[in-house]
Amino acid sequence: MISTRTAEFPVLLAFPPQGHWTQPHLAIPSLVAWLRAQGYANVQQMDLSVEAFDHFLSRRYLERARAMVAERLQLGRLQDAASLGLGDARAWRAAVEAAASADALIERVEDAKRLVRGQDAETDGERGFWEPDRYLPAVRTLYHGLRLVSAAHFPSELTPHNFTMRYSNDRSFEVLAATFDEDENPFIAFYRERVLPRIIASKPRVLGLSVLYGSQLVPALTLGRMVKQALPDCHVTAGGGYLAYVGKKVMQAPGVDACLDSIVFHEGEAPLLALCDALRELESAPGVTPSVGSRADLTSVGSLAWYDRRGGGARPTFNTPAHPIKLDDAPAPEFDGLPLDKYFSPRLVVPYDVNRGCYYGECTFCTLPTVIGPGYRTRSAETIARHVLELRDRYATTHFNFITDCMPPGLLEELPKRLIDGEAGITWWADARVEPKAYTPAGTQLLYDSGCRKLLFGFESASKRILKMMMKGQSLKTVAEVAQNCAKADISVTFYAMVGFPTETREEARATLAFLEEHAGTVREVSLQTFHIDEVALTYRDPERFGLKILDDPGADLALYHDYEAESGMTQEEAAEMFEELMASFRRHLPLFAGDNVFYFMQKSHYFLHLAGTPERAPETPDSFEQRLRARMTAKDARSASGALRVRPGLASVPLSFSYKGARDLLAHPLARASRPDFLTGRYVGEAEATAEARLGHLPRTSSVLVYDGDSAEFVELRPDGLAVLRALERAGSLEALARTASPAGRARLEAFAAELHRLGILTTERVGDAPETLRPAPRGAGQSLIHPTFIEPREESHHAPQS
Amino acid sequence: MHRKAETKGAAEAQDQSVSTDQAQGAARSDGPPSTGGDLDFEALDLSIETVEERISPSETNVFDK
Repeated sequence: MISTRTAEFPVLLAFPPQGHWTQPHLAIPSLVAWLRAQGYANVQQMDLSVEAFDHFLSRRYLERARAMVAERLQLGRLQDAASLGLGDARAWRAAVEAAASADALIERVEDAKRLVRGQDAETDGERGFWEPDRYLPAVRTLYHGLRLVSAAHFPSELTPHNFTMRYSNDRSFEVLAATFDEDENPFIAFYRERVLPRIIASKPRVLGLSVLYGSQLVPALTLGRMVKQALPDCHVTAGGGYLAYVGKKVMQAPGVDACLDSIVFHEGEAPLLALCDALRELESAPGVTPSVGSRADLTSVGSLAWYDRRGGGARPTFNTPAHPIKLDDAPAPEFDGLPLDKYFSPRLVVPYDVNRGCYYGECTFCTLPTVIGPGYRTRSAETIARHVLELRDRYATTHFNFITDCMPPGLLEELPKRLIDGEAGITWWADARVEPKAYTPAGTQLLYDSGCRKLLFGFESASKRILKMMMKGQSLKTVAEVAQNCAKADISVTFYAMVGFPTETREEARATLAFLEEHAGTVREVSLQTFHIDEVALTYRDPERFGLKILDDPGADLALYHDYEAESGMTQEEAAEMFEELMASFRRHLPLFAGDNVFYFMQKSHYFLHLAGTPERAPETPDSFEQRLRARMTAKDARSASGALRVRPGLASVPLSFSYKGARDLLAHPLARASRPDFLTGRYVGEAEATAEARLGHLPRTSSVLVYDGDSAEFVELRPDGLAVLRALERAGSLEALARTASPAGRARLEAFAAELHRLGILTTERVGDAPETLRPAPRGAGQSLIHPTFIEPREESHHAPQS
Repeated sequence: MHRKAETKGAAEAQDQSVSTDQAQGAARSDGPPSTGGDLDFEALDLSIETVEERISPSETNVFDK
């Protein structure tokens, strides 16, 4: 062990895109704190994911993206096609969305970022984040901005929740090809322009990349390749949850040695420290060249896979596992150096790991304990409470996200007491397991008093048979009791649910839905997913037990997830359809899922912040927040055809040769979605595109118009007649003036049309300049039509027969 | 190479913008602005397709990406 580790050995740890954008991820801040505590004085960290979001969602980049879309997607060619197959339908949709929305997005994106970050005003009373009618259009603007960025790099898709390309994560040659694709990999230019110069300037001896998700694999390897080219003596290592699953395969894939020097498996603290120690010790030896970082003998570093480059070549070498650290000895994470003002949240929500692994660890579908491991370890309540106070004071925030698979009953009693006794004054949310002895009326009240505002329980299914197969160890009765006790204490309840577990029938899935519908009002959110088989899961290792036949794809050398055939129950395709059925019900029954309210569910801590409150703003209860959302939807639905209605300024319209809704429905079909990388797994089914086209057919021509309103950030599709009416309304000045020209029957139709557009925000009763605009309206020249066509007019002969 | 492509794209986008403005101007020069008197609202196709959130809640999962 080296006793003194000075600034002469700089270490840089980076979180590559893409991860969620509302708060820092915990792994790197934990490792930074650990290395610093062990004497490494020069350890820096970068969150390249949030930096990338900030870079792409800028006025300058969206202008660049608009030009790239025009260059790459060639809307005119697509509009002239006789019909659109799946691939062209995707390109066409991306192109028309860009054409309709790009100008408005460029104008509004910086304001939208400021609003979501709470940087739009001095006080919470004035900040748009807290008002749904200002917050939701801003969030939509950011999502649409990423649609524009994605269109520029078509068919790649970057969202706040995922990054996929045409390349499959399952195949190493595709993954490596993606790291070279300048057109479709947006991170190459981002790294070159915004990241690499800083890394080169800091001259790290070790660069560590945290790869938690499949969405990070290509961006991480892209960065690794670029850094290794620029700094050949920097040792590039990677670790994290995703690599805990597939790291061995990644190391053995030809060509990866140009991107990485090693991979750390499982918990990173001990292996990363040993790696730094080993490299530093080697460098300090006399006569060693600077390139030792990539040619060292690292046999002694536990839990490390590394390329042995001695003697030429790069031989993957796998070391024995390291002992895990004693978690209670680990320091609190350090977030210094992260761009804390760049996260898409008005308040910093600090992640903190109370334990690692799962004390239950029996669920047959879950493999997280395996990859987070080894084993289950917890910090003491005393340590947690002490760290919470340190973090609260150091980062001037009272909001915490306790990172845990589930908290054991003992901790659920002791930690709240310590937080209350210590006058922590915090609010927090966490994942949880249904523990009836812990979540009693008294227990949930204590949790609330300690600051708990939201808990996410693994509910999974309402079928006793399926729960037994899952070995969940919980009954529906206790699930309902626990949820109700939380709800009575004003702790918001989220359920994780699953559809498509092996042998599950449609009837069983619908029973799960019925249970969730029955408990709407107690359960505020449902995080639903379809069942997947990964290679660590019991369902993969013992498929006969679950009536499964695993389907292997011999070309998929990085495969983690597998297709399967079940002896009974739903097929994978039927499970995907059932997923849509359940989701449609949630949209009807859960206020947080209705319409665009769903963004509260999707923005991680944003809903929680409403429940938490701030020094300037009283906390809301789950009930009061839902009521506010319901009232908003009711007021929207009640909008009518007032005579004062006029066209909202800044609308943009694009004439369409195909139906936008038709394209959207086509692309949303489970078969079409199967031909894109799956959201959860990052893989896609071979030949799915051809299968989907054969079964779904092509999109026929029609004549239509896409309208985009930048203020409400809404897309609406009209027929050309509808656009003509909008233009007439604009010229008439008000609905009343236009309606005077109509017959009684015509007036009724006009008013119905206007009322619907009023509900959608396309028409408004506010005069230009009167409204408290959520975002600045796009400037338009005097005398110019407010509805400006942004692209080409449709062809005269626009009614082609559908192609068979 | 990238920069060149962007420049070309920007020029094309500008051209398109000009041409659509011209098309709009031509339409306007056909006569005095109509206030709707020439529209038969009973015969028009006034259907509206709303684009309910294009963002699917299915794009979230237990890993909270």
